[in-house]
Amino acid sequence: MYMDCKIVVIEDEPLIRRELKTLLENAMYQVTAVEEFQGLADRVLAEQPELVLLDVNLPQQNGFDLCMQLRQQTQVPIIFLTSRTDSMDELNGMLKGGDDYVTKPYQAPILLARIAAVLKRTRGARRETAVYSHRGVALDISRCCISRNGESEELTKNEMKILHRLYRQPGEYVSRLELIEYLWENQVYIDDNTLSVHVARIREKLRSLGVEEFVETKRGIGYRI
Amino acid sequence: MRLLPFFKDKFLLLLLHLSCMAALAAFLHLTGYGSAGILLLLICWLLILSAWFGITFLRRRRYFGEISQIMDQLDQRYLLGELLPPSFLLEDRLYRELIHASNKAVIEGIRSLEQAQKDYREYIESWIHEVKAPITGISLLSENGRRSRDAELRKAMEEICLENQRIENYVDMALYYARSEQVYQDFLIQRTDLQQVGQEVLEKNRLLLIGNRVQARVDCPDPVYTDRKWILFILNQMILNSVRYCSEAPVFSIYTRKEQDGVVLAVEDNGVGIEPGELSRIFEKGFTGTNGRERKRSTGMGLYLCRKLCDQLGIGLRAESEPGKGTRLLLEFPISRYVSR
Repeated sequence: MYMDCKIVVIEDEPLIRRELKTLLENAMYQVTAVEEFQGLADRVLAEQPELVLLDVNLPQQNGFDLCMQLRQQTQVPIIFLTSRTDSMDELNGMLKGGDDYVTKPYQAPILLARIAAVLKRTRGARRETAVYSHRGVALDISRCCISRNGESEELTKNEMKILHRLYRQPGEYVSRLELIEYLWENQVYIDDNTLSVHVARIREKLRSLGVEEFVETKRGIGYRI
Repeated sequence: MRLLPFFKDKFLLLLLHLSCMAALAAFLHLTGYGSAGILLLLICWLLILSAWFGITFLRRRRYFGEISQIMDQLDQRYLLGELLPPSFLLEDRLYRELIHASNKAVIEGIRSLEQAQKDYREYIESWIHEVKAPITGISLLSENGRRSRDAELRKAMEEICLENQRIENYVDMALYYARSEQVYQDFLIQRTDLQQVGQEVLEKNRLLLIGNRVQARVDCPDPVYTDRKWILFILNQMILNSVRYCSEAPVFSIYTRKEQDGVVLAVEDNGVGIEPGELSRIFEKGFTGTNGRERKRSTGMGLYLCRKLCDQLGIGLRAESEPGKGTRLLLEFPISRYVSR
């Protein structure tokens, strides 16, 4: 959603740093992981990041202090990452100017959602492409419908989310599990059978627009458009 | 202190006096002393003796009365030795010293136990804090590994993710257990959006839930004032229980209801349910019930911790269930909690 947004990761555990970088890069962010902890504040400022992920326990100094230092010079959003879970820490994080506070062990989708939420809050909602199009069938996100040659069919919220996922990678198979996981990450909590029912309904709506075989099924693999 | 036991205690002394009286009377009689004089002497003796007994009894009764009163007012009764009233009697002073010494030993014992417990708790807390780093590492590694093109590897990574989450939950349980025993309370009470918390619990467990073919809904429009992370932990235990005892086509709902005296948050499933006879015991420590024994893996700690944490947060916790139909766990957030804010 905020592709190419520049994120600086400050984390002293090499493995977590590496994997966090991979995770964020897979989510299409531009990532710089700090590996030298001398003169940290200046290093971070030099990068001119749009978001900072900051571990509270650092080798030379405390993450909270660094946050205060950064706050004197920049308003860049800062998310604290920490494995401590006492309330004093949480309060500290907020008082020292952090924008959010995520406790380890965080799960990838939850962390990504928090990052997106902070970016949305600090940069204002950047509209996603509102209309996708593939093989002459248009998916209109804001009006929640599909249309072809001026004719359109309304979609339910769930059907739209399924199609949205498929439209993001046209021509590529999306596995059923991936699709269901995507839905769960977007507040639609359905099971495998219900997914089939929704896909059947989508196909019916497509058929009424005169489109056959738009959503393809490959047994044991998934769906694609 | 009662009179009769007091006299029983002084029986030997009394006996000594009586025999001395008899001996004196016999001696005086033999030396030709008049009976009237002897009688007068004995009566005087008896009077003095009774006065002594009476005064001693009253003094003793007052002394021990005072001690038991002090004892009643004491929070830590083992501190009595410090507070014993002064007494001129040698015996009292000796006892006082002994009790004092004995209490001191008890106090030292308690101190060292408290210290040991505190050290242990601090170690557990720091251990948990440290073990979370590798758990995070595994979580990120397996999460990134799931993007691999190799289906077998993906499957393995998914399983690692699931097992890692189980570890995470056990670690969290240990942390909250250590905290639930603590005198100081670690909350941050703030306006909490239960909708968000419910969604986070489902998202967090999505792999497990999707694998069990669960369908769910969250409908919690009513905000409450509470500690977010404690509620998250409590809901997580409830959802894990629902998964453990789920039916063929599980449906979970998390919803709130506004009631006159507060907000009720319900976690409902259509699982195997709980026998009526066991319903009242599910929040007990170590209770696993028929379901738990049949399905193994139950520690009997999850709901026990929920109850302890709810007690500390001032949240009511109830369960309703019908065997074969499902279970509904209810968290009652009292309204006073947010009126006072």
